[in-house]
Amino acid sequence: MSSWEDEDSAAASAAATTDVELLKRAWRNEKAAPEILHFDSALVSRAREQIQLLEETLDDFTDNGVDDLVVSLYQMDLDRTLFLLRSYLRLRLQKIEKYMAHIANSEDLLSRLSQQEQRFAKSCKEIMEKHLEQSVLSKLPYGYDSVTRQSLSSTEDDMVPEPQLDTFVFCKTKSDVGAFQLDDVGEEVVDLVADDLYVLRYKSIKGLVEAGRIDLI
Amino acid sequence: MYARRASQLLKELDACEPGQLVVFNSDVFDQVIRECGEHNAQFQALIRKMVEQNLDIETTRNEDHYGAAIHHLSLLRNKRCLMAYMYNRAETIRSFRWKIGPVLPHEIQEKLNFSEKEYFRSHSSAIKSYISEMDIDLTVDMVPPKDPYIQVRVLEDIGEVSLGDHSVSLTKNSLHFLRRTDAEQFISQGLMEEFLE
Repeated sequence: MSSWEDEDSAAASAAATTDVELLKRAWRNEKAAPEILHFDSALVSRAREQIQLLEETLDDFTDNGVDDLVVSLYQMDLDRTLFLLRSYLRLRLQKIEKYMAHIANSEDLLSRLSQQEQRFAKSCKEIMEKHLEQSVLSKLPYGYDSVTRQSLSSTEDDMVPEPQLDTFVFCKTKSDVGAFQLDDVGEEVVDLVADDLYVLRYKSIKGLVEAGRIDLI
Repeated sequence: MYARRASQLLKELDACEPGQLVVFNSDVFDQVIRECGEHNAQFQALIRKMVEQNLDIETTRNEDHYGAAIHHLSLLRNKRCLMAYMYNRAETIRSFRWKIGPVLPHEIQEKLNFSEKEYFRSHSSAIKSYISEMDIDLTVDMVPPKDPYIQVRVLEDIGEVSLGDHSVSLTKNSLHFLRRTDAEQFISQGLMEEFLE
């Protein structure tokens, strides 16, 4: 029995390092995080290379008349990887759509996006502003026609939808983190053990997610 | 009561199934816009009156001050309601790009106002330029693939099509077992649907 388990865990650790597995992790984190995360452009371009490679292999197979079963297994693998990539990019676009003004106004958030996503976020925001401008704001009296502020008496932007960072997320630790402080004052401390599941506020573990020490699920 | 009409708009949104739209309520919408103008006129009149009486508008707390405050706050509330109405509708309209495609059917088109139609077109083209820059189509593969082959039902006569090394005759209402990648293009054109037992 023990040798089986060893093999299993060896296979699992090997699988955890493949690009597809990394992409799956990025996809899962992106799906669960309330805010937009860093775009891993190196990973995405590696995944695209692999997809191309798989496509070429499949073409070779059909040319050389390889067994249909083998072809369909490779096809399935390709389909899954393609879905993962598409879904990852799509998730990010939809997050940008949701918080366009918030993202487009912040240098820090913009720097998390790819070049193409940055362009998308900017045009997304412009299009939305134009729509709100011509349908509502241009018809309102002077002083009440700002898109980000309720009126001239607002001292800061109070009409920009933002993600809620103090929402709870499910997460799994990859390795021992040790005693981790959940709040600023140090009243709540939790001992994060390797491979354990937790439900915590996203805000408090944000740093661990960015450092890749914890996975969202 | 002030700002009641504006809240009607939001109640309408709320009563709607998520992801669905009702016809743009231009009647109530225009009434609320008019209300905003009236609030502003009253607000300005009260402030003018205070200035004429040589009162300091920053510190005076008489009935005109509170009257002006109520008009100001009602206007803000109306603005928030109008913006929320447009913004939430715009969110639903955006979701149509992912769920339906770049061309909206007639029954959805007629629920949108002029600006919303323009918004949908511009936003769709923003997505399109992202997709062409990335050179990967994001509008297919919306659900995780389970099997490389799927069963499909043909909705329109397509005729003889060659798929891979053999050709298939795709006549209306016939069932076929095709490669998912082959079927997808027909499904997105609305010529086929996945057949689920």
